[in-house]
Amino acid sequence: MQSGKSLFNYPFSHIYVEDSVRDMELTRSILARFSKSVVIPINHYKDVFNRSRQSFGLQKSSQALILAKNTGESIFPGAPVCQDFGYDHFYYASSIRNCIFDCEYCFLKGMYGSGNIVVFVNLEDTFAELEALLAKHPVYLCVSYDTDLIALESLTGFTARWAEFTKNHEDLTIEIRTKSFRKDIYDRIEPCDRVIFAYTISPDEIIEKHEKRTAALTERLEAAAYAMKKGFPVRLCFDPVIYCENWKDSYLSMFDQVQKHIDTHQLKDVSIGSFRIPADYIKKLRKDFPDSPICQFPYENRNGVFQYSAALQAEMEDTLVTKLQSLVPKEKIYRIDVDE
Amino acid sequence: MFYFVCALYAEAKPLISALSLRKDAFSCPYDTYFSEDSSVVLTISGMGPIAGAAASSYLLTRFGFRSEKDFLINFGSCAGKDPGLYLINKITDNASGRTFYPDMLYDLSDCGLPSSSEKALVTVPRVVSSLEDPESLYEMEASGIFQAASHVLPPHRMLFLKYVSDAGVENAKAVTAEYLSSCSEKYLPAVLSVLKKLEEACEEKPSIDEELLLSTSYALHLSETLRFELRQLFMYANASGKNMEKILNDLDADGKLDVSSKREGKVVLDAIRQKLI
Repeated sequence: MQSGKSLFNYPFSHIYVEDSVRDMELTRSILARFSKSVVIPINHYKDVFNRSRQSFGLQKSSQALILAKNTGESIFPGAPVCQDFGYDHFYYASSIRNCIFDCEYCFLKGMYGSGNIVVFVNLEDTFAELEALLAKHPVYLCVSYDTDLIALESLTGFTARWAEFTKNHEDLTIEIRTKSFRKDIYDRIEPCDRVIFAYTISPDEIIEKHEKRTAALTERLEAAAYAMKKGFPVRLCFDPVIYCENWKDSYLSMFDQVQKHIDTHQLKDVSIGSFRIPADYIKKLRKDFPDSPICQFPYENRNGVFQYSAALQAEMEDTLVTKLQSLVPKEKIYRIDVDE
Repeated sequence: MFYFVCALYAEAKPLISALSLRKDAFSCPYDTYFSEDSSVVLTISGMGPIAGAAASSYLLTRFGFRSEKDFLINFGSCAGKDPGLYLINKITDNASGRTFYPDMLYDLSDCGLPSSSEKALVTVPRVVSSLEDPESLYEMEASGIFQAASHVLPPHRMLFLKYVSDAGVENAKAVTAEYLSSCSEKYLPAVLSVLKKLEEACEEKPSIDEELLLSTSYALHLSETLRFELRQLFMYANASGKNMEKILNDLDADGKLDVSSKREGKVVLDAIRQKLI
């Protein structure tokens, strides 16, 4: 007789640990937090992460954690579909792959074959790689693109380490993007005008339907307001803007919430961009998530990037920008244009 | 559907009996057994990784595995330190040194397989006389089965259930068929419980009305590219809960589906898109 227990194992019930990092301090501290998990020694993270025919969606129901050493590059040039906010040397760092949140439209679902999370515990090697880059020119680095660092802070402590590293390197500016509600990080690190906390802001309707496990709109705004109060530069990212039948009402009502919680004139800047995704990624998303209206939307393929039709995109973005201009000085509004 | 691969008839015998499997009467290279409703099929592979790989390939290609609802289960004996039934989370092929990892997505603790029953397994080419690593299990088929099956199966649709029959023997004949069957019999309730639980693990994906798609494509004189666009509109309608049949019926009632060229068909395709968005 069945007991009615869940079909799936709990998240991080299984932790794969590369032999090379087994004795590292961070590995030990992470494993100590999950004493009931099954620890499986592995030779290389790709033996698990890169297996063929994995189900990204199902693995999200029972995410495994992989602790590994990144022996290759971990800093990459920013993609053209991403906003560079006017910085000349735009890069992103990949110290963690995948996320505990489950956004329906996430590009990671198209990028990786696995929904499991890889933490590269040798962050100091990424710092060394970055120092070599900083010797050449200033760097603007997004450190939370492939994951949500704040959501995993209690596990890794990476947000605090990135903030500390950035503070000691004058030519470095970092962006830490999040959909988390957590505020405690702002009590534990010192503000720095080159450590930007960027909150992805979506209407509650979109969050509830399409951004599973993420913080509610008010929770994100409260966390952003708290960060600002503590002296951190805060960015709001209205990106991706997602089409839904009542998008105008949803987004305008979202701005009411923003105004209610945030002194918008104190924001560092804001970005706005409609959903767009490289052709290779949407192909995989459509195959893996046939019941997702965002993945199945009939986008236009413009220069290898799937986007809303130019007319719909302009209508949505123009409406939002018009509203934003009443809240934020025009020069602080960054709008992505991948057709350029 | 559950596909079982067992190395020996003695290991499979209690399963065959409990599930009332009948031997396949057709001439085939492996002894194969079916349940009456075809929900279970079991093949006797013979011993060794190559035999395991070959039997798995035969089973999966002959019967057409559906990765959204079927499971492949390798059930059988192994050598190990402590008696018990184990769920395998890592398979090392002793000959090549390669390792393989079935996905451990499902909580089978209420089937008598808690996380403490998980172990690593080593596939060896011959019966072991002692345990090189007392924490590991040793047997002769799993790595071959995994490698062959992983060409068509996702790693979360493979289960390796092994029971310890001995701690290594000098002479394989020391482990008798009767003894292996009695061990299988002992762990049968757990295996049957796993089958019952995994029946829930069906990932059936929504499908579109292919007939309607095809007839609409022909009616609109669509090219292959435009037909692909129409398919995407069908997919979006399905995912967003919109009734494509009604949209098409409405257009038909307005006489808009009656077109005579690809160009006119493309205009209708745009009209369908506008009705959806």
